[in-house]
Amino acid sequence: MPKFRKETQVTSVTDTSSSILGKAAQATPAPLASRIRGISDRTMAWLFITPAIVLLLAINIFPLIWAVYLSFTNYRANRPNAPLENVGLSNYSRVLSDPNIWQAMQTTAHFVFWTIFLQTLIGFSLAYLIDRKFRGHAFWTTVILVPMMLSPAVVGNFWRFLYQPQIGLFNYIVSFLTGIPPSSFEMLGSVQLSPWAIIIVDTWMWTPYVMLICLAGLRSIPDYIYEAAEVDRASLWRQFWSITLPMALPFIMLAVLFRGIENFKMFDMVTLLTGGGPGSTTEVASITLKREAFESWRTGRASAFAIILFVAVFGLANIYVKALNKVKQR
Amino acid sequence: MSSVNSAHSVVEPGAMSKRIAASIVIAYAVITMIPLVWIFMTSFKSPPDSISYPPKIMFQPTLEGYCNLFTTRTRQTSEYIASLGTPTSTCDETTRSRNMVIAGPSNYWPRFKNSLLIAFGSTFLAVSLGTLAAYGFSRFRVPLADDLLFFILSTRMMPPIAVAIPIYLMYRQLGLSDTALGMILLYTAVNVSLAVWLLKGFIDEIPREYEEAAMIDGYTRMQAFFKVVLPQATTGIAATAIFCLIFAWNEYAFAVLLTSGEAQTAPPFIPTIIGEGGQDWPAVAAATTIFLVPILVFTILLRKQLLRGITFGAVRK
Amino acid sequence: MTVQAPHTSKQKRPFFLRRGPMENIATAIIGLGFLMLFQPFLLVLYTWSLVTLLTGTVLFIIVSKFPE
Repeated sequence: MPKFRKETQVTSVTDTSSSILGKAAQATPAPLASRIRGISDRTMAWLFITPAIVLLLAINIFPLIWAVYLSFTNYRANRPNAPLENVGLSNYSRVLSDPNIWQAMQTTAHFVFWTIFLQTLIGFSLAYLIDRKFRGHAFWTTVILVPMMLSPAVVGNFWRFLYQPQIGLFNYIVSFLTGIPPSSFEMLGSVQLSPWAIIIVDTWMWTPYVMLICLAGLRSIPDYIYEAAEVDRASLWRQFWSITLPMALPFIMLAVLFRGIENFKMFDMVTLLTGGGPGSTTEVASITLKREAFESWRTGRASAFAIILFVAVFGLANIYVKALNKVKQR
Repeated sequence: MSSVNSAHSVVEPGAMSKRIAASIVIAYAVITMIPLVWIFMTSFKSPPDSISYPPKIMFQPTLEGYCNLFTTRTRQTSEYIASLGTPTSTCDETTRSRNMVIAGPSNYWPRFKNSLLIAFGSTFLAVSLGTLAAYGFSRFRVPLADDLLFFILSTRMMPPIAVAIPIYLMYRQLGLSDTALGMILLYTAVNVSLAVWLLKGFIDEIPREYEEAAMIDGYTRMQAFFKVVLPQATTGIAATAIFCLIFAWNEYAFAVLLTSGEAQTAPPFIPTIIGEGGQDWPAVAAATTIFLVPILVFTILLRKQLLRGITFGAVRK
Repeated sequence: MTVQAPHTSKQKRPFFLRRGPMENIATAIIGLGFLMLFQPFLLVLYTWSLVTLLTGTVLFIIVSKFPE
């Protein structure tokens, strides 16, 4: 086979896999064969792929390289004509020893941990229940999925209204259920509650995402495994821990990783809900970065911070793709 | 556990467990809908009703929120208003009853139009480029294909604010800041990664034999692509397009940093809607409702493809 | 093609040249980097988190080219 491919100058996967075409190509001399096909497959492959790659290089990679360059300078975007100095690694060492940015990382960690924990718990439970296939489960699944399709910014903005201490629906419902007066607590204004305010909205929005992927995981478990367990008289509890959970685990990992990446770089919803406040209690990494870059205009240092965030996300993305491939094989 | 002795297999859960599952799921679905229903209800409230305590569930519906959303108003003396003659529309009437007159249209409609233009423009470009690239990756042996695909996907994972800094500088140099073209190019770049991954999955599913048969019939590969593969991939292309559209429609971070006036889209504009004395919540709710309705429709259309879309095509169900 | 197959499968490469275990190690290093980035106890660990993350990521990219 490899020898034959060299002779006919055909590079496409299709042609080698098809014996009919292979014979046709073998029968005709090479120039004629390529004329029949129009342009050669190799040319066509590059013709098709290049535009997308060029766009990504221009809009994503070139700016990224520029950011790497800026992160070694003292550039300030509001003073473009000031002399540019090479400051070496000092931007990085400043960002990595700045207690405020460290604090922002911990705020992010708190947000990422609790959102993932709650979303996985609720999402998996819901998926497990929906997998009971009660009547109308398809309809209710669609209803549950709605929040995750909406704009986090626009919906986050509206949650600010629901969280109003006196007039907000959220406070009213809480006071209705618990008896605490609705104006006695401020979800967005208090240091203790505001981190939870953003966690609640994020959980409301993204639990359906985890649920949907978990549901796919549960549905990928073949029935015969459960039937075998039934024959062995394994209890439901046992079945859950030794069949359901391990077999759904790759899917859960996929959802957790993706939510981890997304919430690590969370910006829009938190900006509109709290703007990082009160003080800096909900100032997650992206908001600190935005303040550094577009309010303090320390572009060089902000670029260094951006590169740090990018490296972290890129590391997670590697693991995510590994998880994707694992799920794909199922 | 009693189920060990039950006649039902796990594959078909018992009636009781189904009923419990159904009630919990329905309860969750109802709770999850409350904020959205509240947005919808608030958009039909008058400003005093919207901020009353306790929150009003029963109220006199009015279109004031929608009127306020699309107009700018100025306060006038009642003598001046009395001298104006009969109001020309319901909006006119409600505005005058608040001692104000309509001064002109608001910025919401231009911003909404920007959203439409940028979302559809970038979706069209992303899906076109994505289809070509996906076909290339699916059918040809591309050197370093896996690395290229990972590179393409990783561009989507980048934190938007991190990318926004150099993009901001680049657009300032090129004169693309605050232009629809700049935003379209940016969203296309972000969306093309999703488009390539999703469409590769869809095209992989189309049997190669179709094109091969067409090529034996004398089509060139290019013709086979346009006349055989594209029609087969229509569903996949449509689903991909809706995903790209939703992303571009919902995007906020780039929009708020890179646009300020001319090319501003609706998401950064909606939070800035203010009336007299703070945020005009019925108008905000009206803007939100108008903004969300297309997405609701799309979600229902997409429900079968949703899973595939959010896992970059890895889970096909 | 088939002639070579038994030859490679008998002589198993050492674990540091195989993809599976090395990818797990790289994943662990990236995870450690995140722990260092997120922990609230020692500023020094936070300072060195970037280097750890970078090491893990570069290692991951390199070892993903290794054969299984």
